[in-house]
Amino acid sequence: MASRTPVSIIEPDGTTPGYDHGLSSGELLRIYSSMVLTRAFDDVCIKLQRSGRIGFSIPNKGIEATQVGCASALSPDDWFFPSYRDFGMPLYHGVEPVEMMNNMFGNAQDSARGRQMPVHFSFVDPIRLVSISSPIGTQIPQAVGAARAFQMRGEDHLCLASFGDGGTSSSGFHSALNFAGVWKAPVIFLCQNNGYAISCPTSSQTASESFGIKGEAYGIPGVIVDGNDVFAVRQAVEQAATRARAGLGPTLIECVTFRMGGHSTSDDPSRYVPKELMEYWAGRDPIMIYESVLFREGHLDEARKTQIAAEAEARVDAAAKQAAATDPPSLETIFSDVYEDIPQHIRTQGEAAFDLVARKGGAAGGGGEFPL
Amino acid sequence: MTIEFKLPDVGEGVADGEIVQWLVSAGDRVKEHQAVVEVMTDKATVEIPSPADGQISALLAEAGDVVPVGSVIFTLETEGGATVAEPALAAASASGGTAVASAPPAAPPAIKTTTGKVLAVPSARRVARDLGVDLDRVAGSGRHGVVRRADVEAFHSSGAAPASAAPTPAPIQGSGGETRTPFRGVRRKIAEAMVRSAFTAPHFTVIEEVDVTDLVALRGRAKALGAAEGVKVTYMPFIMKATALCLARFPMLNGTLDEETNELVNFHYSNLGIATDTPNGLLVPVIKAVEQKGVLALARELAELAERTRAGKVKPDELVGSTFSITNAGNIGGIMATPIINFPDIAILGVHRLMKKPGVVAGPDGDRIEVRQYMNFSISVDHRLADGADGARFLAYFRTLLEDPGLLSL
Repeated sequence: MASRTPVSIIEPDGTTPGYDHGLSSGELLRIYSSMVLTRAFDDVCIKLQRSGRIGFSIPNKGIEATQVGCASALSPDDWFFPSYRDFGMPLYHGVEPVEMMNNMFGNAQDSARGRQMPVHFSFVDPIRLVSISSPIGTQIPQAVGAARAFQMRGEDHLCLASFGDGGTSSSGFHSALNFAGVWKAPVIFLCQNNGYAISCPTSSQTASESFGIKGEAYGIPGVIVDGNDVFAVRQAVEQAATRARAGLGPTLIECVTFRMGGHSTSDDPSRYVPKELMEYWAGRDPIMIYESVLFREGHLDEARKTQIAAEAEARVDAAAKQAAATDPPSLETIFSDVYEDIPQHIRTQGEAAFDLVARKGGAAGGGGEFPL
Repeated sequence: MTIEFKLPDVGEGVADGEIVQWLVSAGDRVKEHQAVVEVMTDKATVEIPSPADGQISALLAEAGDVVPVGSVIFTLETEGGATVAEPALAAASASGGTAVASAPPAAPPAIKTTTGKVLAVPSARRVARDLGVDLDRVAGSGRHGVVRRADVEAFHSSGAAPASAAPTPAPIQGSGGETRTPFRGVRRKIAEAMVRSAFTAPHFTVIEEVDVTDLVALRGRAKALGAAEGVKVTYMPFIMKATALCLARFPMLNGTLDEETNELVNFHYSNLGIATDTPNGLLVPVIKAVEQKGVLALARELAELAERTRAGKVKPDELVGSTFSITNAGNIGGIMATPIINFPDIAILGVHRLMKKPGVVAGPDGDRIEVRQYMNFSISVDHRLADGADGARFLAYFRTLLEDPGLLSL
């Protein structure tokens, strides 16, 4: 039975009564740096979009504790089926900002070769992060399917399905939870309740008393945690992972958090989010909440904090410069990655295209419009 | 180097943005990511940051201006240029100095493929179509002279005349329940042409009623014949054929005044402008050498040309060179009208609604009343160059031909 009030661990004074994080100073600061890096990456992406250098971005501000807290409780051998608002997960596990920037610019180094929208990452190494899909909730049954496969093969991976509050209204959410419950599949459902599905408030999303309670209908434990409390998220995911690895099946975790920005770079949250709500959550900034622990326990001081922020900005800035300077994918990539051995008719088309470019020159870049 | 900063699409698919306020002034030094201007789109109001460190050299729009995505709104001087992350989507064709959006391009004219088609990116073609810009006339700044979207917009804002279609003007909502639409594009061109015609040529108009009962029957047979060949036969090709025969007989109506040489020009051929109602306004594509063509051939050409005109795909040279024009209001309504001459033509023929009426028919047993089909035709003539009698004679002969349409083959 899901607790009706979100579980939180960190008190306003930075104490964590009854909770031993058991982490070294280095591990604590890795979590912190990842949250700061996530925010810097988000901030620069929005500015790059506003100045016309990338087509699109998805604001991540305010969700850093949920993303990084969750990632920190999972192993790089686990499989991530994230939503498009999960910058912190790959960054925590060592994906370089430039690898993500390559996707934002859709350049030749992008793992999707520019065939995806920005923010639609996919990585094999150092973590298995399955290609992000725009359609809502599609990753949830995919995660269950993969978890079921690992279960049948006797492999020790577990799968994370991360989605927003809006994702719970997708049909995939229901079929995924149902089958995961039936099979006791090694999967964790992380519902990031960030207040709004684009402009649709939680109150219009469900008649349930919470999202966490929805697990009960499928025979799955549901827990509700404070998504801005990195320890509360980490603890919930650790416990869910322990259950999953022990063959006890899935867990639904609702992280109550707040999106401190638009749904994407294409909407204006000031038109649908009450100002008071924004102000309330600004006072519950997840980075600030975590800093209170680090300051209190002596892992962080003002100088170190400034240094970590500066390092994050410099890394993101360098990543953006490098990705911007990288060429777009070559014309050849239009014809590659579909067949292992390119069939003759496609080869002929390709040669005709290359010949045309050799004679006429390649097309210039776009004129600044959204790349759809 | 100079970066010409073009207003990006800051939401998925916005067309333009209103400059709310500038947060910097010309001459200010800015850092990369520093907010430069606040822009309101139909989705959101956003701050646009600088793409690089540098000095603002010019602000090219004012607060309150609505600027299309892709127009240069400010220019930025950066140092060196080697390490600056040039905006991928903003074509910074740096040539030193301050480039201004409205300056006509001085580059060589656009290159063409061997098929005669100008090399242009798809977005440039779309914008050219929307703005009515002839791509042939636009100099390309892209690699190998490829025409880019910004080239088309710069060409358009330099005041070049629209060639085919019009921009779809974005209505700006005023207060108090009115809609204000910028007066430009094809509408503006029509206005200029009408004023020039109406206030240069003293118009007079003659109207005639024509019994087209036999023409209706003939056209019915021709329609079936045409359908077998995939040609839609309307009344217009018959009317064109009759017009060409009339013009051969009354050449004073088939001409123009050459004001440079002070000579009256009468043409020995009939190029007929056909006024066509399009989504973008009235356009007058021209069918050439009508006197040499049969009714079916005219029907085919007319259908094809009208289709392309409505689709905005008519070529500029198909819109000029008429010697006489025909305007058809008959399919809409109205029993008569006083057409305005497609200047510098001398005259224009108006075609009005086909209607059934009781008519007096002479028979062997005397006159009787029958249900007959009638159309009204009007001709407006430039009274400087022809007289009322010419217009009346034209219509009399025209009536003779159409009442007995077998005569059209003579």
